[in-house]
Amino acid sequence: MTAKGFLTDTTVCIGCKACEVACKQWNQLPDDGFVFTGTSYDNTGDLGASTWRHVAFIERPGKHPTDGFADLSWFEGDEAPGAKPAFGPDPTGDFSWLMMSDVCKHCVHAGCLDVCPTGSIIRTEFESVYVQPDICNGCGMCVAACPFGVIDRREDDGRAWKCTLCYDRLKGGMEPACAKACPTDSIVFGDVDELRQIAEQRVATLHERGVEEAYLYGESAESQPGTGGLNAFFLLVDDPEYYNLPPDPVDPTVTVGDSWRAAAATGLAMVAAVVGVFVSIGKAGR
Amino acid sequence: MPGLGTSFGRGGATTFQQDLANSDCIVIEGSNMAECHPVGFQWVMEAKRRGATLIHVDPRFTRTSAVADIWVPLRAGTDIAFLGGLVNYVIENDRYFHDYVVNYTNANAIIREGFEDTEDLDGLFSGWEPDKGQYDPETWQYEGTEVAPSAGQKEMSAGAAEAARGEDVTHRQTDDSLQHERCVFQLLKRHYSRYTPEAVAEICGIDEELFLRVADELTTNSGPERTAAFCYAVGWTQHTVGVQYIRTASILQLLLGNMGRPGGGIMALRGHASIQGSTDIPTLYNLLPGYLPVPHADHDTSLDEYVAYNETATGYWSSMDAYLVSLLKAYFGDAARPDNDFCYDHLPRMSGDHSHMTTVTAMEDGLVEGYFIMGENPVVGSMHGALHRKAARNLRWCVVRDFAPTESAEFWRTGPEFDRGEVDPADCDTEVFFFPCAAHTEKDGAFTNTQRLLQWHEKAVEPPGDARSELWFMFHLGNRLKELYADSNDPKDRPIQDLAWDYPTDGAHDEPVAEEVLAEISGWKLNEDGEREYLSSYTELEADGSTVAGCWIYTGAYAEGRNLPARRTPWWEQNWIAPEWAWAWPDNRRILYNRASAAPDGTPWSERKKYVWWNPDDEEWSSLGDSVDFVPGRPPDYHPEEGATGTDAIAGNSPFIMQADGKGWLFVPTGLLDGPLPTHYEPQESVTENLLYGQQCNPARIEWNRASNPYHRAFDDERFPHVLTTYRLTEHHTAGGMSRWVAWLSELMPELFCEISPQLADEVGVRNGEWVTIRTARGEIECRALVTERMRPVRVGRKRNRRWVHQVGLPYHWSYLGLVTGDTVNELIGFVADPNVSIQESKALTCAVERGKRSRGRRVVTSGPLVIDEERDA
Amino acid sequence: MTDDTPRFIGDQGRVGDAVGAEQQRDSGHDGYPAPGRTDHRRPSLAAEDGSPTYYDQPAIKEPVWIWSVPAYFYTGGVVAGAALIGAVAQLVDRDGYDGVVRRCRLLAAAGTALGTAFLVHDLGRPTRFLNMLRVFRPTSAMSMGSWTLAASSGTAAAAATLPSLGAPRLADAAGLAAGVLAPPLGTYTAVLVSDTAVPVWQSTRRAMPALFGASALSSATDALDLLDLDEHEERLTRRIGIVAKTGELAAAVTVERAAEDVHERVARPLREGLSGGLWRAAKLATATSLVLSLLPVPKRLRSLRRILSALAGTVGALATRFAVFHAGTASARDPRATFEPQRERSGGAGSVAARRVGAGTETQTGSV
Ligand SMILES: Nc1nc2c(c(=O)[nH]1)N[C@H]1C(S)=C(S)[C@@H](COP(=O)(O)OP(=O)(O)OC[C@H]3O[C@@H](n4cnc5c(=O)[nH]c(N)nc54)[C@H](O)[C@@H]3O)O[C@H]1N2
Ligand SMILES: Nc1nc2c(c(=O)[nH]1)N[C@H]1C(S)=C(S)[C@@H](COP(=O)(O)OP(=O)(O)OC[C@H]3O[C@@H](n4cnc5c(=O)[nH]c(N)nc54)[C@H](O)[C@@H]3O)O[C@H]1N2
Ligand code: SF4
Ligand code: SF4
Ligand code: SF4
Ligand code: SF4
Ligand code: SF4
Ligand SMILES: [Mo]
Repeated sequence: MTAKGFLTDTTVCIGCKACEVACKQWNQLPDDGFVFTGTSYDNTGDLGASTWRHVAFIERPGKHPTDGFADLSWFEGDEAPGAKPAFGPDPTGDFSWLMMSDVCKHCVHAGCLDVCPTGSIIRTEFESVYVQPDICNGCGMCVAACPFGVIDRREDDGRAWKCTLCYDRLKGGMEPACAKACPTDSIVFGDVDELRQIAEQRVATLHERGVEEAYLYGESAESQPGTGGLNAFFLLVDDPEYYNLPPDPVDPTVTVGDSWRAAAATGLAMVAAVVGVFVSIGKAGR
Repeated sequence: MPGLGTSFGRGGATTFQQDLANSDCIVIEGSNMAECHPVGFQWVMEAKRRGATLIHVDPRFTRTSAVADIWVPLRAGTDIAFLGGLVNYVIENDRYFHDYVVNYTNANAIIREGFEDTEDLDGLFSGWEPDKGQYDPETWQYEGTEVAPSAGQKEMSAGAAEAARGEDVTHRQTDDSLQHERCVFQLLKRHYSRYTPEAVAEICGIDEELFLRVADELTTNSGPERTAAFCYAVGWTQHTVGVQYIRTASILQLLLGNMGRPGGGIMALRGHASIQGSTDIPTLYNLLPGYLPVPHADHDTSLDEYVAYNETATGYWSSMDAYLVSLLKAYFGDAARPDNDFCYDHLPRMSGDHSHMTTVTAMEDGLVEGYFIMGENPVVGSMHGALHRKAARNLRWCVVRDFAPTESAEFWRTGPEFDRGEVDPADCDTEVFFFPCAAHTEKDGAFTNTQRLLQWHEKAVEPPGDARSELWFMFHLGNRLKELYADSNDPKDRPIQDLAWDYPTDGAHDEPVAEEVLAEISGWKLNEDGEREYLSSYTELEADGSTVAGCWIYTGAYAEGRNLPARRTPWWEQNWIAPEWAWAWPDNRRILYNRASAAPDGTPWSERKKYVWWNPDDEEWSSLGDSVDFVPGRPPDYHPEEGATGTDAIAGNSPFIMQADGKGWLFVPTGLLDGPLPTHYEPQESVTENLLYGQQCNPARIEWNRASNPYHRAFDDERFPHVLTTYRLTEHHTAGGMSRWVAWLSELMPELFCEISPQLADEVGVRNGEWVTIRTARGEIECRALVTERMRPVRVGRKRNRRWVHQVGLPYHWSYLGLVTGDTVNELIGFVADPNVSIQESKALTCAVERGKRSRGRRVVTSGPLVIDEERDA
Repeated sequence: MTDDTPRFIGDQGRVGDAVGAEQQRDSGHDGYPAPGRTDHRRPSLAAEDGSPTYYDQPAIKEPVWIWSVPAYFYTGGVVAGAALIGAVAQLVDRDGYDGVVRRCRLLAAAGTALGTAFLVHDLGRPTRFLNMLRVFRPTSAMSMGSWTLAASSGTAAAAATLPSLGAPRLADAAGLAAGVLAPPLGTYTAVLVSDTAVPVWQSTRRAMPALFGASALSSATDALDLLDLDEHEERLTRRIGIVAKTGELAAAVTVERAAEDVHERVARPLREGLSGGLWRAAKLATATSLVLSLLPVPKRLRSLRRILSALAGTVGALATRFAVFHAGTASARDPRATFEPQRERSGGAGSVAARRVGAGTETQTGSV
């Protein structure tokens, strides 16, 4: 079967969080606690064991020349000395409020899957990365291995959880709950090949309309060799870090060979050291 | 919604949200559509994908602004200045759609000699009666005739009943050159001449250039080839001049020729899932179903009198008697006969103002014994929570139907006044009956959504435990009352005895069959065999008692005995208009006044914006798929004969068929209590004096002057230096009954907060996330400060006096119960209202902000006036 | 701010922990950006040195492992060292080193049992620990380690118990097998931590096995040293200990360098905070142990020297494991440790982002 995945087009996201709630409802996930964070409109913070879709809100400050809010002198008088505040004809200056619905990326090389010692995490017929809850023993390896900080262990039941790409719904011929709920089609579900085309088209349109900073994140192995590309990829308009995405993530199993080689050398050294000492001392002198 | 009703003829959104995708420019003003109507917003995003310009005019930078091309951060409460500025721009720069304006609006009508404008009277119109505090609108009328409005205050136009009102609308004097000095166009021009870009900038606190950019976008995207749409919601209605906000947009859209055309119109975004339904079949004290007024005690003494007072001689409102008689037949069945005026006397009569806030003050005064609260949480959602609680404590009994005991059921023990021991629950004698209600998933029924679309929903699960539907409750309550009064001989009990109350029931709990109610609302007549023949349009209604219809505008929803609101053919199996998805009133029409999408001669204004057109060959109107909003078969060149009445008086070039003259009203000669033309007034509580007129506030606004409801000084009250506005968040629903008890929503917005600018945070000395207290004369609340650049101070005032004003934003969803709690924002807001619709001013007032948490408990209604200055000095 | 209901994430250890520790200290306040005109107006993107993060939220998840995991690292090290020494001793002089062999086998058997208990204790679902042996997955260090540990447990237990059951030859075979498994057992834990996205672990992947291997040997000699040894045995453990500890210290420096080479931010947990303290303590204790064992002392003080050195070495080995563990946690919490090295290295998504026109200039609100 062809790979299924998501294109999340952040330029049309309105931050309604319908995806986040639809996911919770479909998967009957518990709440994450009632905590006011003060970080814009984001009070759930990040993806985790009980939040599989998470909407990020980025209040990107205006980079107005005055950068002058700190200097309140303009604020007292009528004609501001020097700096004019950042609301001339375009009152936003270049202030913007970016919103982005984050999710498990269903990496082509998935760290979580590759390190799972129990085989609980599998790749499904939809090329998605799926945790089998009846097998996971909560070793926590996957949690540390995901380069995106997606999968997490739930405290109460001790198992690792993350987005299933709505495996149950796909089996039933339905699209994932989050995509279904998204009113603006910021989340597009489909065959990854097709999504890639749609996405490229969209980027071209955006560039035409002057949004030159639009680009795709993780759409291919070329652009993200460390993961072999993402089946759930993104259209962004600023550095990935703004969205809490790593600029060049790497599946740790890609590089872990270095470590095995070093371990082998160390092992030999250990043997050599011990043998050497024995040799230097000779037989037990009794 | 008399703003739209008086302008166009019907009080509903003039278009449907899907049509927004066809727009070339969408102005969202007075609404935060992305957050409050996220699903409908998909068509705005679709329009954007197709290249439309999106403009958001809002004091705050919201999730709507985030995807808008232009954001206009105006000062709350100044939209009439902004829109009036656009009207002025359009007229001064000749950007209006000339042929549209001359033919389809009342621009050419000549107004009576004695009319005086705000230009002449420093902010008042002629007819102001200071001692009564209201207008005598006589001088606002057309020269040569007197028309009645199709909405709003139907009776204000006349001193006495006059069945002939509007009969001679054909005698209306007009001037198609639009040059006559008393013609509406010239009056309009003069009225808005002082709304210059400079004045707009000074009043609204925005940049002139920004205003001009909006004006340019809007006008270049209007005309034969292009259309622009307006979307508004309660950011416009919750003001003491709210109706006139909508009127200003109506004028603008008429001038630009955007009404009745695809991608145009005014999208009134309604609130609750069926709030449109609850104005169509109203829960309002002064309306009967279908916008028929409730009879007045003093003069609507008989059916004939009532009809005489309320009908218009021309247009579709001329069949008012048929609508009312059909309603009475639905109410009283066989008991309603011609010889007893169809039981007209059973209808309750209105003896005065019984609007919500008036009723609450009466409650405070001990004048109200019992109170039903169903599907509402007024202690949180309505103004002045403390006053509400106090008033409720003066009731003898109170019924609350909700999912959980809300603050409105717990008023006798929950609230700041209890925390401080000012009130003892033991002293409250009110008996509260709490009934758990069934949710919409647990019952059959219909929602009428924001675009007048009736959508049927089926019961998915049985309600748990004792929970029952509203229908069940009302039906069985009615039966018990009937039983109780069955043997009474007292004439006052006759209405209950005569009430036709025989709905079939179903299931273990005797649930009335909801579809049967729909059938009755839609209506029928009996054939010779005594069998029902379901009606398909309100034009089939008769005044002789042969037809039954519970709400005439809904007639046709159950045509041929089919539940049309339950239709579910997706648009891709028909066309984008999707007439076979559910059913819209009137007559399943999606774009109202769509005759205006064709030129006077019946051809489309342009190929690009084609929607409805005249087919000379088969002598009929055609459309892309919508139902045509015009008299069937009426040719474009039809001219009514002199003295024509009823629908015969509607000319072939008069798309607004509910109006007495068939025209869109730029100038409202009758129907509104606060003037024929929108005028900028400051809110009741403002940071500035009115820069345009001596008259500070809407002269006709309703105040409740009582100790428990103190107001701030009209302006320059240094105790309350900031503008305060309140609103919603996507994550919660209104007073919270449906969201604060849901963990998945509560976690998304767990605490009450205010949004303030970094500048104000500096002034107050508060950091992001810390506590602040917000104070008005009514009370004070505490909340977290969310410091954000999305809030901007605005510069207000004339040239030399221009100063910076802070705006404070408060979402109002929290209160004392539920999974997440917080103070109640409406503790801050007093009772003051728009005269036409009694809607409170919760979108613009003044406040103070201080660092730290509030004192515990103090409320005006329990502690007496909060002497704020003294306390601060102490 | 005197606040009676602190409900910020800072207090709940969710996001607040993420808000850079230094920031918390500056503001002395729930994890909110410090006061002052520039800070509070940007609750968002605290742009330290212009490098963006998402409200200083961690970019990756903190490992969920608890104390028993570094404790296991240590125990596993002792087992590996002991099994290796035992096996070599057995080969060199089975009878002559019988005491060493026995003690080593005992240590290994006890260690594998204890270590397994530590590991099971850390599992979210301890009852399902046998699922570890459901699959054999070379990319998973934990899978490989589990198999190694299982085999080690079996051979160590056999080697320790079979002699008393009258099967000394089988026991010897088991002892040898345990010795063969010892180097992987002693180093796979280093591979395991490197097999994660945690910056300080991943970037030190080439150096860490040496540290863990050396530490395994040294901790085994220290453990033996704490038992009753004769002079000959003592000489043996002392020499192995000296070599191992020298190696351990050298490896520690290499680890630091490796982290530093990748990015200053990555190395930070080895200098600062709890992990930095532990790291320094580990080096100090190991060095002390080394110096002690090199110290020429009169014969009667030799066993005291042995004990003191062993204690210091044990402290050093434990501190090393805990330092590495906590460094990982701190590193995972610091989003810049994830972002900045990735941004700096060429290739990958970093360069795609760089394609973004004029990074850091205008992006208008949704001109879609
Ligand atoms: N998620 C969600 N959706 C809802 C609701 C809900 O509670 N939650 N409630 C429903 C209901 S009952 C209703 S009535 C609708 C209301 O829908 P909206 O009217 O869109 O909602 P509000 O948030 O009350 O106000 C809209 C905007 O008006 C702005 N505003 C305030 N004062 C002024 C002003 O003077 N002029 C202008 N131009 N703008 C101003 C506010 O900043 C706010 O952004 O939403 C409905 N939809
Ligand atoms: N400051 C400020 N105040 C405002 C506004 C504002 O913008 N600012 N907006 C105003 C507006 S537009 C509105 S609409 C009001 C809303 O104010 P309210 O209508 O008072 O508030 P809701 O929370 O919507 O109340 C609806 C209640 O009905 C219950 N309910 C839901 N379904 C059913 C049902 O089937 N049967 C029964 N019996 N109950 C049901 C819900 O649980 C909920 O408690 O608030 C107004 N107040
Ligand atoms: S590595 Fe992370 S992002 Fe990739 S599939 Fe696994 S959990 Fe998802
Ligand atoms: S926690 Fe579960 S899913 Fe994750 S690696 Fe361990 S066994 Fe696999
Ligand atoms: S695909 Fe399903 S499980 Fe994954 S985020 Fe969407 S709704 Fe949740
Ligand atoms: S549902 Fe769609 S628009 Fe709403 S927050 Fe999620 S991605 Fe954004
Ligand atoms: S809650 Fe209902 S009315 Fe409101 S946006 Fe969602 S679908 Fe539309
Ligand atoms: Mo509403």
